[in-house]
Amino acid sequence: MTPKRIRNIIIKEWRTLTGDATTFLLIGLVPFMILGEAIVAIILIANIGGEAMAANTFFQTAFEKLVAGIPGASGLGAVDQVRLLLLTQFNFFLLLIPTMIAIYSAAYSIVEEKVSHSLEPLLATPVRTWELMLGKALAGAIPALIMTWLCAAIALPIVAVLGWGNLLDYIIGANWFLNLFLLTPGIAVLSFLLGVIGSSRAKDFRNAQNLVLFIIFPIFALIAVQITGVIWFTPLYTLSLGIAILLIDMGVLRVAVRLFRRESILVRWR
Amino acid sequence: MPIIETFGLSKAFKDTVAVADLTLSVEKGEVLGFLGPNGAGKTTTIRMLAGMIAPTGGYAVVNGIRTDGNLEKLHEIIGLLTESPGFYENLTALVNLEYYAGFYPCIDAATQVEKYLRLVGLWEHREKRTGAYSKGMKQRLAIARALVHEPDVLFLDEPTAGLDPESAREVRGLIGRFSEEGRTIFLSTHNLNEAEQLCNRIAVINTRLLALDAPEQLRRRLFRRQVVVQLQKADNRVTAAVKRLAFVQELREDGVQLTVELTDPERNRPGLVRAIVEAGGEVIAVNEKQYPLEDVYLKLVHEEPGDDA
Repeated sequence: MTPKRIRNIIIKEWRTLTGDATTFLLIGLVPFMILGEAIVAIILIANIGGEAMAANTFFQTAFEKLVAGIPGASGLGAVDQVRLLLLTQFNFFLLLIPTMIAIYSAAYSIVEEKVSHSLEPLLATPVRTWELMLGKALAGAIPALIMTWLCAAIALPIVAVLGWGNLLDYIIGANWFLNLFLLTPGIAVLSFLLGVIGSSRAKDFRNAQNLVLFIIFPIFALIAVQITGVIWFTPLYTLSLGIAILLIDMGVLRVAVRLFRRESILVRWR
Repeated sequence: MPIIETFGLSKAFKDTVAVADLTLSVEKGEVLGFLGPNGAGKTTTIRMLAGMIAPTGGYAVVNGIRTDGNLEKLHEIIGLLTESPGFYENLTALVNLEYYAGFYPCIDAATQVEKYLRLVGLWEHREKRTGAYSKGMKQRLAIARALVHEPDVLFLDEPTAGLDPESAREVRGLIGRFSEEGRTIFLSTHNLNEAEQLCNRIAVINTRLLALDAPEQLRRRLFRRQVVVQLQKADNRVTAAVKRLAFVQELREDGVQLTVELTDPERNRPGLVRAIVEAGGEVIAVNEKQYPLEDVYLKLVHEEPGDDA
């Protein structure tokens, strides 16, 4: 019964989503805006400040890690090395997509039910709290994930068109796949679970958004740290981090269930 | 055989007692009216019985399942009509109902949804968004939602509140129909006529249970039985003759109407009529005085005030 119930929640959420132009546009447009922003940033940084960056001592550690991780990169020019450094972080940048979407759509997931008074009849069905939380999280995470993969796929021909095709061989490897198909789903589910927790604890829409932003903030920190190259993720590190995130997802789901107080939600919400 | 039983069921929110020491039982197939002023604990009781909130004292059992125990099983056998209908307003009635039906095992959701949309008269409007529904339509849809999984026990929280008379009548008709099907119905309402019309027994609550009985028994318990005699014209000789009767305990004269309290209404009534006629009185009608349920309710609520919740 559990998969059927979770599927039921996901389908309902998607039906609601397609009827809401704002959220639909958000999910459709924000990923491409983030993709465009990332591409433009790489072009500007590499073309305008590439040589300066390569010479900057602050980034020396990052370049050393790049060459250690991708030995072939030692033969590249300074600007190409800068481009490669930025492109290897590209998938981490794309992690912004599920987190950004979660701040908006997951924040509304439970608050919306409270406002429309549909939560009490829903809780009067045999649905379990964890099924509800996971269903809500997956309903947002799946489209966000698909959009992230779509953006990653679109990025590759763009890189080739920009004349950096020679760098693709260095980019597409174990780390690229692990990042997209293990770490990104883990982060997407985590973002949405945290969003649903925030939504279940919030008093209204605004409160929900603020709360979710606050809860999701550590994920932004992870992305920022990685983009600056402070930590260099080898495939093993990415694999470990991906598995750790999946375990954290399970832990957060348990926390979400504990924090979802049916009684106080029903009694306090008028 | 009781299908709903509560044993000292109590609920307090911090220092506020909402329900205190509620002990009652509802038989299978019975319709129990649950009356009480605002804040008396009606919704809180229904929420406890439906497993939505946990009691702080005592416990309740519905069809053998503790309401603070296996919620999943409990929710499979009960239907809950909440105070506010609450639907996803940008989805159609059909999609809304399919969604709720999708959580129950062992039912053919599509068949059940069609059955109940037809029953509540909304099948023709199934593709309309619920946001465009009137209040009455939403309430009927909420009833369909509460029944879509064929529950044995129905908890209805003010099902006709805020509805226009026609919609309220339709909803009452549906409740009557479900009762005829043998479902047990726990009906919270402010509408005393509705309670009298639909319920086998009435429970009056004001934090504590004040009374629980059939409407007629409550009347008899609270009010002395009186006979009302309608005369053709007022006549002092008739009044004097009635006063002289040994079995007359109290007499009130109001123009052509005499209200008489008798020792034994069934046995004394013929003697009363005979005495009036012998005194020259012309009797138009003799009836037992009927106290509306409202009088019963107000007397109970005002004579035994409970804690506000």
